[in-house]
Amino acid sequence: MFFFFQILLNGIATGAIYALIAVGYSVTFTTMRVLNFGLGMWVMLGGMLTYSLYVAWDLGIVVTALGVAALLGLLGVVAERFTVRPFVKAGSEAWVMATLAVGLLYVDIAELVWGRNSLAVPGFLGENVIRLGAVGVYPQQLLIVAATVAAFLGLDYFYYRTLWGSAFRAVAHNPEVARLMGINAGAIATASYALAGILAGFAGMLVVPITTADPQMGAVLGLKAFVVPIVAGLASPRGILFCGVAYGAIEGLISGYLFSGIRDILAFALMIVILYFRPEGLFGRPSFERA
Amino acid sequence: MRSYSRRNVLAFGAIAGTAWLGSTPARADNSVAIGFAGPMTGPVAAFGNEIKRGIDLAIDAVNAKGGVRGKKLVVVVRDDEFDPVKTVGAYRDLIERQNVVALVGTANSAAMLAVTPLLNDQYKIPAICVHTDATAIIHNQAEKEGRDNYLFRLGMFGSGQADFLVDSIVKKFGLAKVGLLTWTAGYGQIGRKELTRRLSELGMKPVADETFETGDTDMTAQLLKLKDAGADVIMHYGTIKEAVSIFQTRKKLGDPMIPFVSSWGIAVPALWKAAGDLAEGTIDSNVVTVDGPQSPERQAVIDAYHKAYNRQFDDPASFFDAYDAVMLFALAMDKSGFEPSAIRTALENIPSYHGAGLSVDHPVFTKENHEGYRLADMMLGRWTSGKFLRIGYDEKGPFVTPAEGQKRYIDPKTFALQ
Repeated sequence: MFFFFQILLNGIATGAIYALIAVGYSVTFTTMRVLNFGLGMWVMLGGMLTYSLYVAWDLGIVVTALGVAALLGLLGVVAERFTVRPFVKAGSEAWVMATLAVGLLYVDIAELVWGRNSLAVPGFLGENVIRLGAVGVYPQQLLIVAATVAAFLGLDYFYYRTLWGSAFRAVAHNPEVARLMGINAGAIATASYALAGILAGFAGMLVVPITTADPQMGAVLGLKAFVVPIVAGLASPRGILFCGVAYGAIEGLISGYLFSGIRDILAFALMIVILYFRPEGLFGRPSFERA
Repeated sequence: MRSYSRRNVLAFGAIAGTAWLGSTPARADNSVAIGFAGPMTGPVAAFGNEIKRGIDLAIDAVNAKGGVRGKKLVVVVRDDEFDPVKTVGAYRDLIERQNVVALVGTANSAAMLAVTPLLNDQYKIPAICVHTDATAIIHNQAEKEGRDNYLFRLGMFGSGQADFLVDSIVKKFGLAKVGLLTWTAGYGQIGRKELTRRLSELGMKPVADETFETGDTDMTAQLLKLKDAGADVIMHYGTIKEAVSIFQTRKKLGDPMIPFVSSWGIAVPALWKAAGDLAEGTIDSNVVTVDGPQSPERQAVIDAYHKAYNRQFDDPASFFDAYDAVMLFALAMDKSGFEPSAIRTALENIPSYHGAGLSVDHPVFTKENHEGYRLADMMLGRWTSGKFLRIGYDEKGPFVTPAEGQKRYIDPKTFALQ
């Protein structure tokens, strides 16, 4: 039983990170029908910045979080304005390449600024292992789960309890009608891109004490997190939280009870099977699609 | 006008003369050129630059004593960006246009394998490989066919490193239950195969054989299985990033922690930067270290490095192997002149060598053996408070020497200091 719980607990912590990144895909998709394919690299940038702010300059966690949010948010605004909007406006699909190009640009810049070595970032709540019976867990892992749940609750509140959130949902539902209602759909698009950047930055900040920070860390994280909204349904934040955590747990259990080499094969095969039977995702509602 | 055309004629004559001389390399300034192509920019530029520093300091040392046979040594560097296709182009340029008579190898095994047939079959220019450890670079087609082999190596090589690691841990540390934990990418899988081969040659097999993927952040499942299998020691082949994940998970799972041994792939200062205290007690194989007490020869070069560059080492092995490679080339040229094939033959006939990195009383290379480091010349090091300290042995067991005259014994079961 110890084996099972130890693996499950780690899987849940890993899955929470997938969920946090995954919701970034969802935010831009629902409002603009655009996916930021380079989102993993935004996660990386958040992680590298965390190293500079929290470790190199020793500014404390609050300043670090504000700094990461400010820079990633600003980059989101700029990236949407110059690499997404022109293509979307022109009815071109070239934004797919543009979002990837921005991601690759981040990798190259990060390698120039921080070098290629893995950089250590200490856990925000210390490095002492918490023991729950025989099972051990890092405080950072608990923090990741707590922060992810908090982020989702915050998003829920934002979407359903605030005016801006309603505007987001209106644009997601039908941008033309939203525009007629006086909503600035362009501003909403920019804001959603910035929000996705900020969430990715937070994911990077939370994950580097576990993974170390290096410029190549984004690709794998971004790809795995991409599975989650595809399986859950891109428009369903609660579904994404559930599926993210479940994906992490399943990954852990496969490595534990079978072997790690087969893990990604089974996990991705499972995704294909789910999509075959439910193309809109487990939690997706076909009615949400624009006609 | 007249003098102008005369100069033209002279210049043309010089160019034509150089071309005509063909295989006899000549450079306008009466210098002799050693070539190096390596990653000078991009993600792995640290290794290319470290090799170049080794070459530069060795050339400075040779030239300070008057050069070789009255000629100055120079190095011509090309950036191959860690791309084998560019390495091939760079080698053609270095040999055909820059007239280099010898080469220090690049930092990428795939690139070295790509240029091996060029060097052996087409150009016949000797190269001493550093940093690259693929066994097949040296044990190439020419060697198999008994032809002249122009490839030499200073540094670890795949099969030798596995033999050394397994033999040290099994015979000197007395650990019998070996568990493997290897990376699923090429380097890790070659290591896995070689370690398994050596264990089976000793009549053993790994008690567990776990792997991990690039970017894996949690090793709980693998480590629990290794623990359940009763592994006394983990043998690892992989990169630093996942090694940190292993260390973190190992700490989380609590005592007793299984001791951890790895190849030279992670035996660089970057390991401690990424892992910090988590790396304490880790044992790695390597060929040199710059930490702890050193021989006067090596200490002098370490001091020269700090003076010249005012920085810490990125990869001491790459630096010292490149340094020794240039020194060996200089010895060979001194003996036999600057004809590349004569340099090659002379390299096989240097009776002994006491350099900054390698120090041996037997010939470094022979006709049959182009691996400069033999098993007896390799070392294990233990990461101790940020330093990579060479492990020695006496009747009481393995020990490290943090400072001159200080001996700290290592518990062979836990790798803790006693």
